[in-house]
Amino acid sequence: MTQMFRAVLYTQWKWSRLIVVLGTIAAFAIPLLSLQGAARADRGALQAQDLLRSVQSWGSLYPLLATALGLLMAITAWAPDHRGRHIHALTLPLPRWQYVLLRFGAGFVLLAAPIAAVSLGALLASLTATIPPGLQTYPIALAVRFALAVFVAYAVFFAVSAGTARTAGIILGVIATIILVQVVAGIANIDLNIFGAAQTVLAIGPGPLAVFTGRWMLVDV
Amino acid sequence: MTDAIHIERLHYRVGKAFEIKNLDLRVPTGSIYGFLGPNGSGKTTTIRLILGLLRPLSGRITVLGDPMPEQHARILGRVGYVPEQPHLDATLTVRELIDFQAAFYPSWDRAQAEDLVDRFELDGDQLFGRLSKGQKAKLMILLALAQRGDLLVLDEPTDGLDPVVRRDILSALVTYVSERGATIFISSHLVHELERVCDWVAVMDDGRLITASPMEKLKHGTKRLVLSGVPREIGDPPFRMLSRESSNGAGESWVVGGWEPGMTAYIESLGASVRDVIDLDLEDGFVELLRSFRGRTPHP
Repeated sequence: MTQMFRAVLYTQWKWSRLIVVLGTIAAFAIPLLSLQGAARADRGALQAQDLLRSVQSWGSLYPLLATALGLLMAITAWAPDHRGRHIHALTLPLPRWQYVLLRFGAGFVLLAAPIAAVSLGALLASLTATIPPGLQTYPIALAVRFALAVFVAYAVFFAVSAGTARTAGIILGVIATIILVQVVAGIANIDLNIFGAAQTVLAIGPGPLAVFTGRWMLVDV
Repeated sequence: MTDAIHIERLHYRVGKAFEIKNLDLRVPTGSIYGFLGPNGSGKTTTIRLILGLLRPLSGRITVLGDPMPEQHARILGRVGYVPEQPHLDATLTVRELIDFQAAFYPSWDRAQAEDLVDRFELDGDQLFGRLSKGQKAKLMILLALAQRGDLLVLDEPTDGLDPVVRRDILSALVTYVSERGATIFISSHLVHELERVCDWVAVMDDGRLITASPMEKLKHGTKRLVLSGVPREIGDPPFRMLSRESSNGAGESWVVGGWEPGMTAYIESLGASVRDVIDLDLEDGFVELLRSFRGRTPHP
């Protein structure tokens, strides 16, 4: 099994190395850039409010980066199999769930690099910045949250891209039906808010997508 | 000895247009089994069912003694497969594809893989997507052979290749069988090609098996008989009548299957005489079989 995983990991690296490298650089840079004004010798430390505003605006990049990495890694994990109509994968001598697990695991191992980069960048930024009194840095919490967001994004997109065109069609069909029902309900003056309900279920804690919402703060009170 | 492949009453349907109905097939262990049929006859579908890539509606498939698809992982560890279309990732090199495949097969023969890379003159650093059609076919054969499987399933492996590459591939296959005692199940519509290497042959058309027999029996049992004085009604002959045509007014020309020399007595008992018995090669026999089958089967 180790040999198989190594082989799958190698192919996954070959297909996604550009994404991993660029994602890792971005993940390392964002925490550093978010505190760039916090300890400039020529200007002195930023005031607490300015710093929080700056950190918050940079913070919106973490969920975006996590989503982009999850999406791109999931696409690259399945694209070659889709091109070969899955024949190679399906004729390998292992149960299909194991192959899926190997592919999923390989992608997630590679995503460990940007996660580690966020941890390192956040730690480095915390150590080198002059933080105004009353504020704290949360590098580990930020890194854990980023890891969770990457995992959720990757898992969701991995499941979607594993499917056939028919599966994608069914998903799009469900979304289109929801939109249609919402529009019709609006025209008919029926008090129905499917999007609001979906948002509550998915994006508000403990919804599966709640990790993407809220403030991503390396520095906070 | 169990059969390498045993199919019983297999039924599979793709939409309304095509179905495989009540397919029975036995592939003896150690044989090179040719699976003949025109394009669209159901060869690739049958192969995909054998490999568990498709699930039958009913019927039973046993491969190397294990039921498919229930034991597909176990079976596929002992089966090398070369599909009709190149299925490997175009962005990996020859070497990377060999290493990838090796990781999944405990019986992988590294020495043989190296030997075949040299013999097939493949460049290990070349991307699969940049290989010529012949080189791609050679690499896929290499991957199937180096697995050291007990069964090779090859779906039109030499289709569209030049004669030199075809000969290289067929020679590698024959060598493999003689060394390993493995079974090869090879589909093709290139009749001459199979005639050279196969010891068993089955013919399929329109999702149904027309015939399955040892190659020698099919080749030597299929004859064109030139007859004279044949009555209109001939009853139930001891051979298989594939076609019956009148020739030059007085005589008739029959193409028959399962012919044996002693059967001239039957012809003579009808009051007819055999003027000539002509051997048909496999291609002629194949064409006559198809013509006879299609003549008997109503087509939409």
